[in-house]
Amino acid sequence: MNCRGKRTRVSPSFILFEFRNITGNPYVHIFGIGMPVLMTVVIAKVMALNLSDESVLSTVVTGIFLGMGAMIPLATILMGYAATYSQELEKGIPQRMELFGISQTMTIIHRIISELIFQICAFAIYFIVGFFILRIQPPMVSGLICYIICIGVLAVISFMLAHAIALFCKKFAIVYCISMMLYFCIMIASGMMGINYEMLPSSVQAISKLLPTTYITKDFADIWLGKEYNFMPMLQAYLFVGTFSGIILFFCLKRNGRKIA
Amino acid sequence: MQLTIENLTVKYGAEIALQINKPLQLSEGDRVGIIGSNGAGKTTLIKSILGLINYQGIIKTDLSPDKMATHMQFNEYTDTMPCKYIMEAILETKITKNPKLKELITYFEFENCLRKKYSKLSGGQKQRFTIIMVMMQEAPLTFYDEVTSGLDFETRQKLMEKLINWYAGKKSSLCIVSHYYEELEQMANKILILDKGKVIDYGGKEQLFQKYCGRAVIVFETSPEHELLVKNYKKLASPEHLIALEVKDEAEELALTRLLLSNDINYRRSSNDIEIMYSNAKKIYYQEEVNHEL
Repeated sequence: MNCRGKRTRVSPSFILFEFRNITGNPYVHIFGIGMPVLMTVVIAKVMALNLSDESVLSTVVTGIFLGMGAMIPLATILMGYAATYSQELEKGIPQRMELFGISQTMTIIHRIISELIFQICAFAIYFIVGFFILRIQPPMVSGLICYIICIGVLAVISFMLAHAIALFCKKFAIVYCISMMLYFCIMIASGMMGINYEMLPSSVQAISKLLPTTYITKDFADIWLGKEYNFMPMLQAYLFVGTFSGIILFFCLKRNGRKIA
Repeated sequence: MQLTIENLTVKYGAEIALQINKPLQLSEGDRVGIIGSNGAGKTTLIKSILGLINYQGIIKTDLSPDKMATHMQFNEYTDTMPCKYIMEAILETKITKNPKLKELITYFEFENCLRKKYSKLSGGQKQRFTIIMVMMQEAPLTFYDEVTSGLDFETRQKLMEKLINWYAGKKSSLCIVSHYYEELEQMANKILILDKGKVIDYGGKEQLFQKYCGRAVIVFETSPEHELLVKNYKKLASPEHLIALEVKDEAEELALTRLLLSNDINYRRSSNDIEIMYSNAKKIYYQEEVNHEL
């Protein structure tokens, strides 16, 4: 017999397959790239009407641009991936793949890699708009590296959360509702919807402090420009959300695992 | 031994979906046809073996899950790309560089479907798409769950013909769930009869036929005249529109066929009719159960 056996290593062809799977969904392009670009341009142009000082305006626009960038992983992964994966679960596609020897773990690894590649493409477009249309300030190397790491980790956390929500609820309608609510709540609490962190009620601020997106929205201009910054609260927020997402993903995977002896 | 099932119980909520008390064994090279009406527990059994559902009891096997290939009743794939890319990703190969895959694609006449998305394929094409990938696994044990369901007669015939030819002379074990018994007559050498989650019987196809139907059966249409004509022969359980008669030996068979011919009655003779065997196995099982209770 020449049985192919279980897939145990990362394969470029499967990453490409997952990447095609992401890009084959038109909503990801609309809400994941189109929306953040459009919203950032509109908000920045409105800001420009109210601020006359060029250097202040440039810093403010850079801050808005970097903060709004967090929308990309939230929209494409937290909302988009959760919805797509729940549809797949409804159709039994993950189980079908598992019967072909492609385990849940290997699927997750391939999907995280392909989602990160998609983030690179999406941010490339986003930054082209940022530099050429909004004229954002150029970063310090440390600022750019920090931004890449922060967005990358946010993308991975969003993936874990989205995968767990879909695995737990399974039904598209419920998953879409939960992920959409989470998406908007995170955006509001992080100050992305026009109300800054400082203007939020103290009870909401307590939640905002736990979200990495809050720090990306309110503080990243400073990091971008290489100014001194206390990373501890941001790091704590990442650790909190990352641990929370990791734990619920672990339990959802355990609950849905194959029961073969 | 490839697989043994002992004291298996599967529950959906409070309801027992499948209960296997006597040990069931599947050996290398076995071609097991699993039959039973809807809700009999056929798919539940396959899912238990594959570890896709919770069960109580023991399923012993020397095969790891990846040594079992499965064509499920419903197979779905992503619709974001053409079938070609799905196939290449799952099989981790390039169609152009894999002669065996090319051969299978040609064998199943799937070349023109490779550029289509899965949702755009017809029922038969969808089945063939999964079959190609299942066959590429070349697993020691393969499950086919209602592989021809929902297909028209011609497509079903063609698909079965291809499957039979492909597996002819191969060592792989097969478990085939089907409601079309003539398919199992051609493919299976063992039959597992399930009903309402219970095992009615399991054994060699010929052995079970002889146990429940004797040497051979003569089957023809039901009518009051026909009933009267063959009232002295042993009637077997059969679907309502048919009369099935057991013929013990050649002499009895000759006498009966002469009688039918002289009365211009169309008949069918069989020594492996799974449908009649199934009806009789069920009848005897429940009769014995009633007797046991009394």
